[in-house]
Amino acid sequence: MNDIGDVRTAKIRGRYDAGVMEYKKMGYWQPDYVPLDTDVIALFRITPQDGVDAEECAAAVAGESSTATWTVVWTDRLTACELYRAKAYRVDKVPNTGPGTSTPQQVFAWIAYDLDLFEPGSIANLTASIIGNVFGFKAVKALRLEDMRIPVAYLKTFQGPATGIVVERERLDKFGRPLLGATTKPKLGLSGRNYGRVVYEALKGGLDFVKDDENINSQPFMHWRDRFLYCMEAVNKAAAATGEVKGHYLNVTAGTMEEMYERAEFAKSLGAAIIMIDLVIGYTAIQSMAKWARKNDVILHLHRAGNSTYSRQKNHGMNFRVICKWMRMAGVDHIHAGTVVGKLEGDPAMIAGFYDTLRETSTKTNLEHGLFFDQDWASLNKVMPVASGGIHAGQMHQLLTYLGEDVVLQFGGGTIGHPMGIQAGATANRVALEVMVLARNEGRDIWNEGPQILKAAAQWCSPLKQAIETWGDIQFNYESTDTGDFLPTATATASA
Amino acid sequence: MMTNTNQRLTQGQFSFLPDLTDPQITAQIEFALKNNWAVGIEYTDDPHPRNTYWEMFGNPMFDLKDAVGILAEINSCRKTFPQHYVRVTAFDSTRGVESLKMSYLVNRPTREPGFGLARTEVEGRNIRYRISSYATDKPEGERYGQ
Amino acid sequence: MSAPDLPPAVDLQALLSASEITPVLDQLDAELVGLAPVKRRLREIAAYLLVTKARQQLGLEASAPSLHMCFTGNPGTGKTTVALRMASILHRLGYVRKGHLVSVTRDDLVGQYIGHTAPKTREVLKRAMGGVLFIDEAYYLYRPENERDYGQESIEILLQVMENQRDDLVVILAGYKNRMDTFFQSNPGMSSRIAHHIDFPDYGEDELLAIAQQMLVQMHYHVDAEGERALRDYIARRIQQPHFANARSMRNALDRVRLRQANRLFSQAQGSGSALTAEALSQISAADIRASRVFGVNTASLPDAPYP
Repeated sequence: MNDIGDVRTAKIRGRYDAGVMEYKKMGYWQPDYVPLDTDVIALFRITPQDGVDAEECAAAVAGESSTATWTVVWTDRLTACELYRAKAYRVDKVPNTGPGTSTPQQVFAWIAYDLDLFEPGSIANLTASIIGNVFGFKAVKALRLEDMRIPVAYLKTFQGPATGIVVERERLDKFGRPLLGATTKPKLGLSGRNYGRVVYEALKGGLDFVKDDENINSQPFMHWRDRFLYCMEAVNKAAAATGEVKGHYLNVTAGTMEEMYERAEFAKSLGAAIIMIDLVIGYTAIQSMAKWARKNDVILHLHRAGNSTYSRQKNHGMNFRVICKWMRMAGVDHIHAGTVVGKLEGDPAMIAGFYDTLRETSTKTNLEHGLFFDQDWASLNKVMPVASGGIHAGQMHQLLTYLGEDVVLQFGGGTIGHPMGIQAGATANRVALEVMVLARNEGRDIWNEGPQILKAAAQWCSPLKQAIETWGDIQFNYESTDTGDFLPTATATASA
Repeated sequence: MMTNTNQRLTQGQFSFLPDLTDPQITAQIEFALKNNWAVGIEYTDDPHPRNTYWEMFGNPMFDLKDAVGILAEINSCRKTFPQHYVRVTAFDSTRGVESLKMSYLVNRPTREPGFGLARTEVEGRNIRYRISSYATDKPEGERYGQ
Repeated sequence: MSAPDLPPAVDLQALLSASEITPVLDQLDAELVGLAPVKRRLREIAAYLLVTKARQQLGLEASAPSLHMCFTGNPGTGKTTVALRMASILHRLGYVRKGHLVSVTRDDLVGQYIGHTAPKTREVLKRAMGGVLFIDEAYYLYRPENERDYGQESIEILLQVMENQRDDLVVILAGYKNRMDTFFQSNPGMSSRIAHHIDFPDYGEDELLAIAQQMLVQMHYHVDAEGERALRDYIARRIQQPHFANARSMRNALDRVRLRQANRLFSQAQGSGSALTAEALSQISAADIRASRVFGVNTASLPDAPYP
């Protein structure tokens, strides 16, 4: 590909003559390229500028996310530049876009990157390459990173989840059912003493975990040490009252790494089983905390704060499944990944793709679930997905059907807002969960019989009865925005 | 007596439900067998939440097709240790799991005194917590009466 | 069940097709050569079980029938194969829950020292629950010459389960006819709990030939007319010799014939250097068969080892 000429000038123009040249003529478009097993592959959704052809756009994205700049540089020739050039090798039109639809023409572009372009064990370096510069590039109207295939060779340079689903369950001694959690509400304003009260009530009533919210850090109404001390009093008191291992995700998110380490160490010294961080602290900080968590036998919960700023709209940004992959590599143990039936964005097929990405030892290409590649996870631990936001006990059969068993179901309002009190709210959720798992294991059709199963349990469990009477009909039936391209999607409705 | 909603130990996946009947236990065993999980029976009179290793009532039962034989073992364990906690577990040997997939209680002592929480005040406002079962003050085998 | 709940009549044909046992019986007919009396008994038992089920539906039959069986016959007469199909029939008729077959011998049931036998037998019973327990050469469980033999302990546990857990498993005892008869004489408790006896006759020469042909087809080999004559001669001689084990002897003989055929092809190929056709590779010649030692050897002088 070195000698592709341009015949606009009288003499044959060489590849390395100074000046501007189309990206596809610089070697960034190689339709015959067969990706190596060790290549990182990225799949982009590109909305080209009018008049720019799809292949040139793909080549431009490949170029700008690897070696190219806007003009030819002779210094390329001091390097093994053919190796370092990313290669766009395939473009497909995106179904249901372009002429005759309400969406401008989009294309999927497959781009392969040689392994040597990346620093081992660094999400920061990987992302600086793949999404570093190229998203503001003028030749594309909009650009979205849809999926990535991470080669086993590269995965092996990452620690992966500090604890993983299997060991987390062993540490908690909880098997065979989803875990139950709740986020303390109101999220802001409670004093440490009052906050701990909510934690104690919810845990004693039957939840496994309570959680700090993403923006509970160290504000004037409650400084972090107060929160940690009162929460651990609540956790230990609840553990003694029930004989079960209990936990509270203590949010250690702070302004500096030093401050986060200090908070994490304090949590550990109090015997906390789990701590928490926010996605907004950045990939490097997340990786550091994952290393800390493994070293200190603490489970690491990640709140995906901020992700919707770039993951929700279909034409620009990046798909959440890519975040799932990066976070599994970075090493978190929990990540919020959607509820299907709750108040936050989530198309059922897309969420199935996220959950598989987090929980399987390998995933096969599944376009309906938005998985564009076969992905072997190279024995990296599994990440526990967390379903949180506008879910309640009355949806238990749907949650168990959609999300399976290895998941934390978090009922914040659905616990704390219970008319009979927080303990009753927790009990309602736990009873609904256990009765549904029991019925599923017995081979009953919980999708259809779920409401009757819950009603039958409500006969002997008044907290559950109250919960169903209060929230039984609440549903969030809005159109999903981040949907699949290969299947007509329906928003999940509580049909049963 | 324990003061939680159920007034009893809530370990295991079905502790918030009324005690499982034999047909209900059979259905859960069948579920495990259908998944090719090995069912095990364990008992203890030390239910501390971090007491991982309960005594095994025989090895996990591999290669079984039907629940009847397992239920007979469960009943035999309950008969031998009527005042112990007995749990049924199911072990999945699949790569990527190699751990328990089920764990539920099928027997409890008549009286469940629960756990005490001891607080040792250390530097500043820090506290070290110690959870201990009231029953384990007594020696093994004498903890919950006969 | 009170009288008004009972259906007025039962459709036996519907019951039969719902149970899907016909394919199992047909499969048995196809895969097992001969054994006409066994197949007849099997159909009788299946019919009896079906009728019993119908009677249960009409409230005429209260308790579960005893289904334990005894299969007698010489080695290689198809007892294990029939037991497998029987397990499937019992499952389809709803007499056992899972329909698997657990095949054991004395060593699996009886221990070496005190306290070892009961757990071993229970372990086997646990595995067999929901299916059929097939005890080959069951008479070895009973050793009258040794007063302290642990086999008796195993028999007692078996008896208890055979009586009290009829819904949970079916036991099939198997072995030589005369030894089984002796065993039953000494163990009347066992004898009284066996509801069905099936005797497996030895195969005739024609049947053995058909069995051998069937095996060859399964292995993707064939013989020509002359080879078939050789096979027939082989069978006539082999039957006369000790340690004859019906179908099992046929399989062993064919295994050795295949070895000789391979040897022959190899030496031919070394001579000619030409490539072998698929036909040549699947053809068994008369010579391959007649090279067996049963031809031209005084049978009386042969050792007890399996025949080459």
